[in-house]
Amino acid sequence: MTTLVETETLDLAARFPGSAAADTRPGYSDWIVNKDKLVEVATTLRDEFGYDLLSHVTGVDYFPDKMEVVYEAFKTTGGPGVLFKVQVPRVDPIEVPSVTPIWPGAEFQEREIWDLYGIKFTNHPDLRRILMWEGFEGHPLRKDWHEPFYEEDFKPLKSRWPDGKYVSSEDKNPYKDNLQFPQNFDPEKVKIDGEAPLYDTLQKYTTVDGGIKTDHIIVNMGPQHPSTHGVFRAAVVLDGETIVSLKPVMGYLHRNHEKIGERNTFLQNMPYTDRLDYFNSMSNNWGYSLAVEKLMNIKVAERAEYLRVIMAELSRIQNHLILIGMLLNDLGAYFTPALYAFEERELILDIFEATSGTRMMCNYHRFGGVSRDLPEGVLEKIRGLVEDRLPRKADEFDRLLTENEIFISRMKGVKVMDAEDAVKYSITGPVLRAAGVPYDVRRAQPYGIYDRFDFDVALRHNGDLYDNYLIRLDEIRQSIRILQQAVKQMPEGPINSQKPQYQVRVPAGEAYGRIEAPKGELGYYVISTGKPNPWRYHVRAPSFINITALEKMCVGKKIADFVVILGVLDIVLGELDR
Amino acid sequence: MLLEYIAIGVMIALATVIAVIAIGLGELFGPKKRSSVKSEPYESGIAPIGPGTRRMPVRFYLIAVLFILFDIEVIFFLPWAVVFRQLGLFGLAEMAIFIVILLIGYIYAWKKGALEWE
Amino acid sequence: MDLALWIEFIIKGFILIFAVLTGFAYLTLYERRALARIQTRIGPNRAGPQGFFQPVADAVKLIFKEELTPAKADKVLFVLAPIMTVVPAMILAAVIPLGTQFTLPFLNRPVTLYVSDINVGVLYLTAIASIAVYGIVLAGWSSNNKYAMLGGLRSSAQMISYELSLGLCFVIAILLGNSMSLLDIVEAQKSVWFVVIQPVGALIFMVTTLAEVNRAPFDMPEAEQELAAGYHSEYSGMKFALFFMAEYEKMIVISMIAATLFFGGFREFWFLQGTVFSVDHFWWLGPIYLLLKVVVLLFLMIWVRATWPRIRYDRLMAFGWKVLLPLSLALVFITALGILLANQFGAIYIWTIPVLSILAGLIAVLLVNMSLRRKVAHA
Repeated sequence: MTTLVETETLDLAARFPGSAAADTRPGYSDWIVNKDKLVEVATTLRDEFGYDLLSHVTGVDYFPDKMEVVYEAFKTTGGPGVLFKVQVPRVDPIEVPSVTPIWPGAEFQEREIWDLYGIKFTNHPDLRRILMWEGFEGHPLRKDWHEPFYEEDFKPLKSRWPDGKYVSSEDKNPYKDNLQFPQNFDPEKVKIDGEAPLYDTLQKYTTVDGGIKTDHIIVNMGPQHPSTHGVFRAAVVLDGETIVSLKPVMGYLHRNHEKIGERNTFLQNMPYTDRLDYFNSMSNNWGYSLAVEKLMNIKVAERAEYLRVIMAELSRIQNHLILIGMLLNDLGAYFTPALYAFEERELILDIFEATSGTRMMCNYHRFGGVSRDLPEGVLEKIRGLVEDRLPRKADEFDRLLTENEIFISRMKGVKVMDAEDAVKYSITGPVLRAAGVPYDVRRAQPYGIYDRFDFDVALRHNGDLYDNYLIRLDEIRQSIRILQQAVKQMPEGPINSQKPQYQVRVPAGEAYGRIEAPKGELGYYVISTGKPNPWRYHVRAPSFINITALEKMCVGKKIADFVVILGVLDIVLGELDR
Repeated sequence: MLLEYIAIGVMIALATVIAVIAIGLGELFGPKKRSSVKSEPYESGIAPIGPGTRRMPVRFYLIAVLFILFDIEVIFFLPWAVVFRQLGLFGLAEMAIFIVILLIGYIYAWKKGALEWE
Repeated sequence: MDLALWIEFIIKGFILIFAVLTGFAYLTLYERRALARIQTRIGPNRAGPQGFFQPVADAVKLIFKEELTPAKADKVLFVLAPIMTVVPAMILAAVIPLGTQFTLPFLNRPVTLYVSDINVGVLYLTAIASIAVYGIVLAGWSSNNKYAMLGGLRSSAQMISYELSLGLCFVIAILLGNSMSLLDIVEAQKSVWFVVIQPVGALIFMVTTLAEVNRAPFDMPEAEQELAAGYHSEYSGMKFALFFMAEYEKMIVISMIAATLFFGGFREFWFLQGTVFSVDHFWWLGPIYLLLKVVVLLFLMIWVRATWPRIRYDRLMAFGWKVLLPLSLALVFITALGILLANQFGAIYIWTIPVLSILAGLIAVLLVNMSLRRKVAHA
């Protein structure tokens, strides 16, 4: 361990005179770093100041003159993070040094920026497109990139309401009329082998060992495969049963959530966040409303804070229940644990339905509060759940699974990640805590009213599959503790500090709101220019960033372990592909 | 005695006929809309790279060889078991020696790592 | 060799095959309903009363499914593989005695309740049961599919590994019954079932048969979460149905074998001996008793599937080679020793067998436990 410099006020400008300066734009904060000094600044931040966890990297297109790459790092010991940016002129080729050698967790995020913004990262180990397919033309998050059927930059689109009647623009614009092709492009003739670059990165691992030549087989697990929890694909090199090399492939569910987010007004984005991690719409809402509330600088109504906590923790419980159930499915237990898990989940979804109107896409949060109060009798139902049924459920799973011999022999000793690597790879959430790093946003940088509750950060130390399972049970129990307190303390009062409104006024500036979602740190980086729509709307998706280390986790393990590792990573494709 | 085997022969014939009829029924009534994409081998929806059948890991051969060794030894047990009561103590001693010889080979294979699946 | 004998063979063969086929159809329903009960569901109950016609509906659906043959597949082997899998499963039951015999009314012709009682019945079972491996390997090989090939390889390696212990369990039954004819083995269990004398052997038998029929927790070759559908990934329609059929028929037949070797076969329960409920009294009680035992044994298989996760492949092979094989060898030796003692010093000494075997079993469990813990400590 290097000794950490405990600085309350971090002054990068003083440390790197000339190459780092404070960001003085109104509403912005922290630092702008010179591109050439980036690697040095990043290394210093990590090694000297102890910002060991790179939370997110993203690009911003300040059309028409410059591009910006935004980095934010946190300390795993807690506290606020440091935000630093690199600005480059918006002239191709745009190049920025890669921070992947410093924080390996940046690998996929930098690939995403290359894919969507066309910013090249020099010194990146494997810079390929990630969400779009190989051979895609253009970089879709740039402000001057327009999709087919493009009409205007911001919603609501005027053309949709000519005389107050709804018109679908697809009807007006027949297919192809609005497509832009590169010069000399004939869609009938072109044939792109998008697979070759992927397999090229795998081939280097194909070796001949010893005297006997055995074939290494490249097998595709997914996208249409029962174990990958959606349309996720991993190209795997196998030596018999053992994984030699692995590359995740994603983007099958990509819809450019972030571009949609920039088109929408601030409030219109709320239901879209539901679709990210479709198991936990309640948590997704919260991250987004945190970020926008920070920008608007408003307080949240007291009762609404409690409602948010209750809903988010219930959501966490049902998420972990499903995870454990489906994990057993991945292990080959034929659906019994999964269906046992569904029992209580249904009850939780009943509560969501009674409160918000839908079971999964809740769209519950509003800036300054929530959309609806609890109907009559629901609080009693919640109380019954958290005092009785849910604790019993946790105990039931404990009895059913924890001591099962086959279960233990499959799970124990199969290392997912150790603490050091987990931090390096920016893994957050239960997987990080199972490796022995007590990092939970609810405690590290409390949001909402979490500082009022008495609960422990669940922690395990081995970082193997078994601990990853146990930590879910622990977290269910801690969530129940929080819920029990929240239900007792909940005050009466209004559920929103603001007046109901269709359009919110958001001052210019940037904000990063992050919460501890069931899958890890879920953050929203929102930039406003004072207009009704966000200029930039970035989602730090825990599923996406946790998957960065998948190859490191799986190499050397058995193919059966891959399935289980993917299971405990708890990815949801809606969030992974965005 | 031969009669008993004829009965089994009749069974085999019947079973084969039923299996062939089952496949025939499928061929007869099932729709046939062939296309090149449909007849591609399934690999999670991705066009497979490389041949589907190829050299297999050497581990499987090892298991096969070990199986042949030990299975023949199991076969030796069967006649011995039938006449064991006539052989008495002699039979037991004989088999003890046999098992010991077998065990030496088994321990050798174990120590050599032939039973490890790594 | 007269015509009547031929007719008898054909009728008996037909009846047996149809019994197994019907058994297969209703075993699928039985399994689905039982699984549903365990999983707090209801299960199929729409087609007919209590879902009684569900198997018929399934069969009709499968007949009208399109059959696909992958490009570059070995066409002949591809068709041959399901046949080679299903035929052994159907004829396996030929040597299993379903009862004693009865006299056909009017014709005054004695009819035995088994297709054939060959004097090497047990050998026949081991031989036929292992033929099914070919079908699975060929299916994997001929499909030109990586999942199928891996599944086929896994399956063959697994089946041959567990066949060793299975063979040794047969040896135990032969030792106790003093014959290779299954009829003799059943008759030898008139007073005491072999499961009482050799409980550990019966347990190993049931474990290895789970592996033989690729049932959970040993359902490696078709491990859905890893290899999609394993060796039958490329099969559809009736060809797939044949694999499915083979698996379930083998489940039934293997339960019948287990019942015959260790649970008294078609013989009545020991406490009913000498009463009107004895098989000697009414011949038709034999098949009923056997059916009862098979239903219970099948439920055990279903129960295991509903509760246990799958064992990882390397652990599975290690379990077969390092635990079951030496343990069953020891059991054979113990059984022989016990029989010898009983012959020399009186029948009471037969009880050294269960005592010593349970001891051996406990030692094995202890060693497995210790090695597991050690492995964990390493990692």
